[in-house]
Amino acid sequence: MTYFFQLVVSGIVVGSIYALAAIGFVLIYKSSRVLNLAHGQLIAAGAYITYTLTVYCHIPIYLSFVLSMILMFFLAMSVERIFLRRLIGEPIISVIMVTIGLMSIIDGVIYLTPYGSENLSFPSFLPSQPIVFQGIYISYTQVAGVVITFLLIGVFSWFFRKSTVGISMRAVSDDQMASMSIGISVPRVFGLAWATAGLTAAAAGGILGNIVGLNFDTLHAFGIIVFPVVILGGLDSLPGAVAAGIIMGLIQQFASGYLDGNWGLSGTASLLPYIVLLVILLFKPHGLFGTHEIERV
Amino acid sequence: MKTKKISIWLVVAAAALMLAAPGSAMAGEVYKTALSLAITGPTSDAGNPYSKGVEDYFRYVNDMNLLGDDTVDCTIRDDKYETAITKRNFEEFLDMGIVFYLNYSTGSTLALKRDFEEVEMPTLPASYHAGNIEGSDYIFLPIASYSAQNIGLAEYVVDHHEGGTPKVAMYVHPSAFGREPVKDVEKAIEAGLDIEIVETVEHGQDLDVTGMLQRWRSKGVQYVISQTVQSPVATMLKGANILGLVAQSFGEKGKITFLGAHYTGGNDLVALAGDAAENFYWTTSFITTSESSAGADAQLDLAERYGRDEKTANSHNYAAGILVAEITTEVIKRAKAKGKEITRENLYKELLDMNGMNAFYSQTAVGPVTYSKDDQQGVDTLQLYVVQDGEFRAEGKPFISEYPEKIK
Repeated sequence: MTYFFQLVVSGIVVGSIYALAAIGFVLIYKSSRVLNLAHGQLIAAGAYITYTLTVYCHIPIYLSFVLSMILMFFLAMSVERIFLRRLIGEPIISVIMVTIGLMSIIDGVIYLTPYGSENLSFPSFLPSQPIVFQGIYISYTQVAGVVITFLLIGVFSWFFRKSTVGISMRAVSDDQMASMSIGISVPRVFGLAWATAGLTAAAAGGILGNIVGLNFDTLHAFGIIVFPVVILGGLDSLPGAVAAGIIMGLIQQFASGYLDGNWGLSGTASLLPYIVLLVILLFKPHGLFGTHEIERV
Repeated sequence: MKTKKISIWLVVAAAALMLAAPGSAMAGEVYKTALSLAITGPTSDAGNPYSKGVEDYFRYVNDMNLLGDDTVDCTIRDDKYETAITKRNFEEFLDMGIVFYLNYSTGSTLALKRDFEEVEMPTLPASYHAGNIEGSDYIFLPIASYSAQNIGLAEYVVDHHEGGTPKVAMYVHPSAFGREPVKDVEKAIEAGLDIEIVETVEHGQDLDVTGMLQRWRSKGVQYVISQTVQSPVATMLKGANILGLVAQSFGEKGKITFLGAHYTGGNDLVALAGDAAENFYWTTSFITTSESSAGADAQLDLAERYGRDEKTANSHNYAAGILVAEITTEVIKRAKAKGKEITRENLYKELLDMNGMNAFYSQTAVGPVTYSKDDQQGVDTLQLYVVQDGEFRAEGKPFISEYPEKIK
């Protein structure tokens, strides 16, 4: 059973990071119906800002982590203001193309810095010895990652259910015209959605960087890796992103632990999440928790 | 009067021309070479210091007049690890009239193999894939192939393992770069190398490989040989460290000893994996700056001379860049010494003559560079290193793996 529970623990750790990264996609899609393909680049930018503040500005890592989230909040808000605000009302495909352009711009900017071609790791700030419970191992960094992820997910859930701004964002997501008619500033909500997504990207980048190290290829590819999670959960559902993240994490670990290397199977840990995704989409085309819209004509 | 003035001007102009003429003759020849590689994009963590090694060594050659009045003009272009760009770069280099070419990735070397043959261009890639030289007369590997490195690691395991046949897992990159050396290790096993490959895993972009490590533990894997790049190895080592699986000494019972070929190791691995990199065994044909040697001093001096940062100065990829620039310079020097014109054909002949008494000794490699019609692999010698206190330390003497000859 230790074998099984070790896989469960690892699956939850990986899944919660997927969930945090997926939330960034959901926040933007939920308010503006735009799929931000540059989210992986925002994750990488967040990780490198945290690293810069920690290593070069000698700010304690937990403070750097918070500062990085604040910086990314304003950076993502600026991105929306400069590049995307003027596209409100334009076809969605145009906006998605802009996010692809944004992806290239952020890639280019990071490649101009030494971070684009260097491998780095955060200075250790937690004990390196793992926690061992009943033969199950987990590192302090992984525990911190999971705790921060669930903390942020809790905050966002409260924000969308209870705060005025959060409720405005949900209203815009439901119906932009109706929202405008009751005085909600739709452009402001879009800006806020991008800003919040930037904040979650910084959090995901910081946690990811601490767990796997800082390699630009790995970090920005994460935006694509997490894509099945977003689709599985339902593009506009926060609980869906969390559930799908954990499901994907567990599927990968179980596939790796029980299927790969047996019966001539190999690579199922990478393949199985996509198969599960396809099967679920056959029965639930809007994902596990996505909004099923009915349009009456 | 006017005719006299014109005559004086003509005399002055002729004198000026005569003075200038010997000067231009003394300016010497410029030999054009080129390098296309990933300075940005995937694998740029290796490409970036590699390009600096090439650039710095050629600057040194020109600054120190190592080729007399002649100079080397090496054009370096970023191809972002995209074969289409490499091909375009190469075609432009041909138009520029290069006499020697330095390439980078496995994919582009395999894709451009026919081009190199057609234009008879002597080429040194940064990829040590054995398949690069199959069916090619013009591609020369600077050091031992990945196959030789992986077999060398397997031989080391056999020589130092206690009790029965060692159980080995191969952890490889999902490409020809990762897969092909496994086939050669399997051939070595058929030829008598006493290891059992329990599993070969082609990694993905995993955040966590606990499932794989747990599986290996349950199957009794004792050694893992990696043929990939640093990032996935760092993820694996971190996972193994959390699970308490890393052997603290070579072959420690109940634990796993992790080993890897050229691109898995170096300072970047320590930068990514931190403490989890301790006791990782790595083989390459290059010296490291963490071990004191004349070659290490030369490498650090060159980096300092051209203002490189500490990380570049200590990179084995910087050393690899220096080596290919050294080989290029050496063949030009030898052709010049024989009074030959510097052409692709003559430089190719000089490469083929680089053996026996004519072997070339580079300061950044652990053995001599030798090439011939039947040997397109430069430095055959390998050195094993192990990470101790965050630095790669030499383990034993340099060696040449035996089985690559047996499975030819």
